[in-house]
Amino acid sequence: MIGLLAFVVPAWIFVIGLYGMATSRHLVHLVMCLSVAQSATYVLILEVGYRLGATAPVFSDVLSTVRATDPVVQALSLTDIVVGATVSALLLAFALRIYKTCGTVDPEELRPMRG
Amino acid sequence: MTASALAPLAFAAPLTAAAVIAALGSVLPRRVTDLISIVAGMLTATIACGLLTAVAVNGTVIHWFGGWTPRHGVALGIAFTVDPIGGALATFASFLTLSALVFAWTYYDHGGPEMHTLMLVFASALIGFFLTGDLFNLFVFFELMSVSAYALTAFRTEDDSAVLGALSFAVVNSIGAFLVLIGIVMVYARTGALNMLQIAHALAAHADPLVIVAFALIAFGFLVKASIVPVHFWLTEAHAVAPTPLCVLFSGIMVQAGIYATARVYTDVFSGALAPHAHQIRVVLLSFGVLTAVVGALMCMMQQHLKRLLAFSTVSHSGMMLCAFALFSTRGLAGLVAYIVGHGLVKGALFMCSGVVLNHWSTLDVEMLRGRLRRTPWLVSLFGAGALALAGLPVFATFVGKAMIDRAADETGLAWLPFVLLFAAAMTAAAVLRALGTMAFGWGPKSDSQPAQSHPTTEAPESSDTGIPVVMLGTATVLLAACVALTFLRGRTAAPLSAALRFVDRQAKFAFTMHATPTGPLPHAAPQALHDALPLGIAASALALAIAAWALFGSRARPVWKLGRVFQPFRNALQLAHSGIVTDYVVWLTAGAAVFGLAMAAFTAGML
Repeated sequence: MIGLLAFVVPAWIFVIGLYGMATSRHLVHLVMCLSVAQSATYVLILEVGYRLGATAPVFSDVLSTVRATDPVVQALSLTDIVVGATVSALLLAFALRIYKTCGTVDPEELRPMRG
Repeated sequence: MTASALAPLAFAAPLTAAAVIAALGSVLPRRVTDLISIVAGMLTATIACGLLTAVAVNGTVIHWFGGWTPRHGVALGIAFTVDPIGGALATFASFLTLSALVFAWTYYDHGGPEMHTLMLVFASALIGFFLTGDLFNLFVFFELMSVSAYALTAFRTEDDSAVLGALSFAVVNSIGAFLVLIGIVMVYARTGALNMLQIAHALAAHADPLVIVAFALIAFGFLVKASIVPVHFWLTEAHAVAPTPLCVLFSGIMVQAGIYATARVYTDVFSGALAPHAHQIRVVLLSFGVLTAVVGALMCMMQQHLKRLLAFSTVSHSGMMLCAFALFSTRGLAGLVAYIVGHGLVKGALFMCSGVVLNHWSTLDVEMLRGRLRRTPWLVSLFGAGALALAGLPVFATFVGKAMIDRAADETGLAWLPFVLLFAAAMTAAAVLRALGTMAFGWGPKSDSQPAQSHPTTEAPESSDTGIPVVMLGTATVLLAACVALTFLRGRTAAPLSAALRFVDRQAKFAFTMHATPTGPLPHAAPQALHDALPLGIAASALALAIAAWALFGSRARPVWKLGRVFQPFRNALQLAHSGIVTDYVVWLTAGAAVFGLAMAAFTAGML
């Protein structure tokens, strides 16, 4: 049951994010929804490394025989958060730039000119 | 210095140069930063060549960062595992970057040092992507490459369509990257390993639903980068607005990196576990590949904007490359690598030519350029040669790759596939030839049915130079010449074939990674005779000329060709789908992922 929930919760968060992006009428909202979709990956990563009744994987003040959670996934999620922050910052800068030049941030109104 | 130290150096050299330019760019004169970046590009290419030589001698080269070698069969450290295919593509990427940097010499009068910084970061990420043997590391390089690509696409921030194109590009590719990451984490949950070969060892031959879902997620995420229909929209948006040196790298090697990653992950990680389902997976991948090749070719034919036309041609060729991989044969892989190199050189040269056009005439609209190229025979012949190379005329390296792919398809029992590829290649070549006929000779009907959503008639020129700079035409010529020269190399088929044999030899690579058992020199492969592929290669070029002639002069014989009207609804539907609205692209991606995932699940579960 818990095993299944571990996949259902991130899947749910991811789909909410996708739905928000698909129906978005504001670029900042769109970027936030992208972040929501990305948080699904954080949740999944942390779940994968979790052990019941385990402590944090810091071995300076406890015996190395103590049951600890997987330190690798924490490194993975940290990297993932750094990536997410970079992408969000860049996208928000784009949104700001678009607002300055086009005067709107509604994706429907921002149909690019094309030939 | 040992060979294994070259692997991280190939990735660190451009990154260091990028840091130097970023730090000193504001105080140094422009020519100095140009020189630093070109020297860094040369250095990277030299290191990559040295690495490739070492791989050719030793078979495989490995570098464990921080000396974290595997203990007791567990690899905790991160490794660069350089096999001949990854090494060759990294070398090709470094040369293409060098050519783009040289091309940029006369290109940017108002560009700052940030351009060079970002291009070098992009190149180093690309090289790391080709060399790494660690699944999570692959994702990190994928993201680093993507983020620098988004920033570069929006480089001309005063142009709102550039920023908008970059936004679509970033949103769609980020979702693809999340899918890859979710797949990687699922694999980690099952095996507790991140080294690709160790994962494969832990998975052994157990293909349960989790493994299949993980593969579907990773493959689809990488195929977003490879611009497979229906997730190709970002590519045309980004290419139409990105600076030309970037287009060279995007179309020449970044899109192909998506195909490479799919091939690498399938071969290194999943090929053992999913072997019983290989046939079903091939059906899914082939369907998407053929769809992409055909839709890309049709859209290519409809374009009036030169860069957008070339971008759709890249979509089509990317579909052909996916078909080549989906054959799951060593000959198909060898053909894929040869085709990536040949296509990258040609597409790079064609984008450089379109950059020259934009630079000189300040527009990329074919109708606006009608007859304007009359006095530039060199440019016209470069365009013409590039078009025929896209069709696979037997003097270009694209022909060598295509000949191997065609033979592999025949050996796999898919005798119809070469004709689909021939059609797609001929259409993309015909599109360039048709545009060239209008631009150079003023041929073809005047397009009176301009779409209501009219394009800007002029774009900002990317340099203030008035003449056609020799450096630009020269770089494009060198790329095409390299494409011809590769065709006449002695190891043109034997080298890719033996590289592919090592690429698929998972046991040898695993023993080398985990127990440092030397893999020995590359396996010997018999070269493939190319003369029986000549008729098909010439037929593709002839077909391209015929289609281009029909598109240019067919209108005079309108009554006979009423048949064209039948396809009008399809044309309209295709054009409607390319709406340019980012939210629509998210919907397309979701639908594509759903179809891909469900098809994969249904096929492997034996339901179809």
